Amino acid sequence: MNTAIRRRSAYVCRSCTQSLQRQLRRTYASATAQPDIYDVVCVGGGPAGLSLLTALRANPVTAHLRIALVEAQDLAKTKSWKLPPNKFSNRCSSLTPSSASFLDQIGAWSHLERDRVQAYQEMQVWDGVTGARIEFDWAPGAAPAAGTTIAYMNENLNLTSGLLKRIEELGGVSVFDNAKVEKIAYGEETEDVDLREWPVVHLSGGKQLSARLLVGADGANSPVRSFAGIEARGWDYNRHGVVATLEMEGEGWGGEHLKTAYQRFLPTGPVAMLPLPGNHCTLVWSTTPTNASRLKSLSAKDFIATVNAAFRLSPTDLEYMHTQESGQAEEYSWRLEHTPLDYRTIPQTAVGVQEGTVASFPLKLRHADTYIAERVALVGDAAHTIHPLAGQGLNQGQGDVQSLAKAIEYAVGHGQDIGVTMALEPYASERYAANHLLLGVCDKLHKLYSVGSGPLVPLRSVGLNAVNALGPLKSFFMNQAAGNGIKVF
Amino acid sequence: MRSSLRHAPKAFRTARPVACGAIGAPWLQHTRRQPPSRKLSTTTPTYHNPSSPTSSSVNETEISHFSALASSWWDPHGPSRPLHLMNPLRHDFIQACLSAPSTTSPTTPQPDPNALRYLDVGCGGGIFAESAARLPTTASVTAIDPSPTILTVARAHAKRDPSLGGGKLTYLSETIESLALPAAPADRFDVVSVFEVVEHVDYPAAFLDRVGEFVRPGGWLVLSTIARTWTSWLTTNLVAEDILGVVPKGTHDWYKYINEEELRAHFAGKGGVWGTPRAMGVVFVPGFGWKEVRGSEKIGNYFLGVQRVG
Repeated sequence: MNTAIRRRSAYVCRSCTQSLQRQLRRTYASATAQPDIYDVVCVGGGPAGLSLLTALRANPVTAHLRIALVEAQDLAKTKSWKLPPNKFSNRCSSLTPSSASFLDQIGAWSHLERDRVQAYQEMQVWDGVTGARIEFDWAPGAAPAAGTTIAYMNENLNLTSGLLKRIEELGGVSVFDNAKVEKIAYGEETEDVDLREWPVVHLSGGKQLSARLLVGADGANSPVRSFAGIEARGWDYNRHGVVATLEMEGEGWGGEHLKTAYQRFLPTGPVAMLPLPGNHCTLVWSTTPTNASRLKSLSAKDFIATVNAAFRLSPTDLEYMHTQESGQAEEYSWRLEHTPLDYRTIPQTAVGVQEGTVASFPLKLRHADTYIAERVALVGDAAHTIHPLAGQGLNQGQGDVQSLAKAIEYAVGHGQDIGVTMALEPYASERYAANHLLLGVCDKLHKLYSVGSGPLVPLRSVGLNAVNALGPLKSFFMNQAAGNGIKVF
Repeated sequence: MRSSLRHAPKAFRTARPVACGAIGAPWLQHTRRQPPSRKLSTTTPTYHNPSSPTSSSVNETEISHFSALASSWWDPHGPSRPLHLMNPLRHDFIQACLSAPSTTSPTTPQPDPNALRYLDVGCGGGIFAESAARLPTTASVTAIDPSPTILTVARAHAKRDPSLGGGKLTYLSETIESLALPAAPADRFDVVSVFEVVEHVDYPAAFLDRVGEFVRPGGWLVLSTIARTWTSWLTTNLVAEDILGVVPKGTHDWYKYINEEELRAHFAGKGGVWGTPRAMGVVFVPGFGWKEVRGSEKIGNYFLGVQRVG
């Protein structure tokens, strides 16, 4: 790309906007407000939306686009988010090295509170029914040059707060927060311009934003997706994800520098213990709605005992403990005595739960029929909702954003209108199949391991054990998980 | 290559008798009797259509063909989809031309790479003209087409993008012959583009001579067309139009295709006005789009750019 293209005036000429703004001021009293014209209007200030805007602002080719961000919450609060070093938010996500490197590339990674981000280098995944196990550790010499980090555990708020700081540093984004989207409609034709195919976002208070490209980063119930008439199909798992911030007996078996993520497949769903800095961990436990509400009602002592049981006791023992209204702690301590364990292959014992962090949310699978329409693009959860068992939800969103930002850069550099489907097609074709495959794999894994007995059970154990024995194949899987392997799609 | 081409006309006479007969250009009739080695005539032909008073490169059949396509010009899944997909490559090719070392004399002022002035000849619905006008490195785009029907579509479409307002993009219902030539050479255009046009004009040599006058010294004449080969007949005429129907029937007349070496010979014969042409061959891959393929300028669709040095 010729460097000359990377400079100069904004995509929507400033004078057009200014004249429209002048009209707006002039006609304010008559209540027919003229919409403000933007190249990109992003609805939703979560990780996907903020990453997209950061990527566009950080790239010299797209830096001159007029950009607006619409968010229902107070972003000043998010930006100034702060917790003491021994407290962690319960909403954490795993960031693959490829997501981290993208965040670094757009200048956001350094704005995260790095001492709150925990890398992990190993994974232990096992079948709760058969005990078959796959150990994701690096064989000598098998570790990739990029490092042995499989992923980084990070609080979602640390990411959004860091992205907001980076956006503030870059400047040039018109932020409309605490803003409710009243409706999205099409524009009008005047003597000079024909905006009948441009979406106009109407905010509470009367503000109107015309969008050359309207980005729906507005979550699973995306109003932008509804506006575009795009269906999201899928199903509910009849499972809830229970999250909590836990305090452990120590920093993990490998100490500060060798952290391990643990996941056990139980017939009710997978339970995962993911390392945070120090002796903290974050829990993600997919289970039945009944079990989830029981877990939330337990005392701290009984909750911790049930969590420890989830990684140690048999599914039958655990099932019984879920029926108890209280007294799990006593039940756990005597049952544990009769359970043989190799303590190195399970997480350390949880000794405390941070107050107010036990929460749950329903799990579902959704995939939008398409990610693009004329002047509309969907990213992140607005496009797809995945089972959390592989920790891929946020990373999929980052992958979307990276791809969409690339498509926009190409379109700007070649004089395309960034809102038309012709310009957005590369994004949809690059991401749809990749996301669909991952959604399918995680869905099948969930279903496969939800079976407690029958012919599937021994078969799936063969699968896990066989993978563990085959070194090269395992390295390949680990590299995939870390996002630095050969891309299969 | 040569020997197989000598056999070509007979085969094509049987394949496309109607299309050939419908076009009455004397120059073309001459070609039909000869093997398809097309020498670009250096003299301006006398105009053969009594209904039009002035000399023109424009062929009425071609105009009505493209006017009929006007309504679907901007449909991304319509008949112009291959053109939409090709458009980014046009910019890549122009960038390659502009960033190539200039072959003008050192005293010739060069175009300002951040304020380029474009003339798009045969702009159609404005696919290229709009995109050129959107580039931040563009000062102005003048786009001409002889079909008023198509210009109505082009203007209406440009109105949908506020960034194209304010005089940066101007559509004129003109032919290259009727367009006023700026008197001072420095006021002529930095980039004159003639995309997918020369295969639709009756007297390409005279047409290109006239177009060339609009290029300022140091500026570039950039065109794209299709080589006249067995492959191009098979792909652009038989497969694209007759079998797959991805290109509307009657869009291309194979006899009007011009080979890259014919264009090179044409520009070389102008007594040092033009530099050495650059070429880039592109191949359409269904389901993917256009792809640059080295050497394919000898076979099918290609771009050719030539700098005005004198």
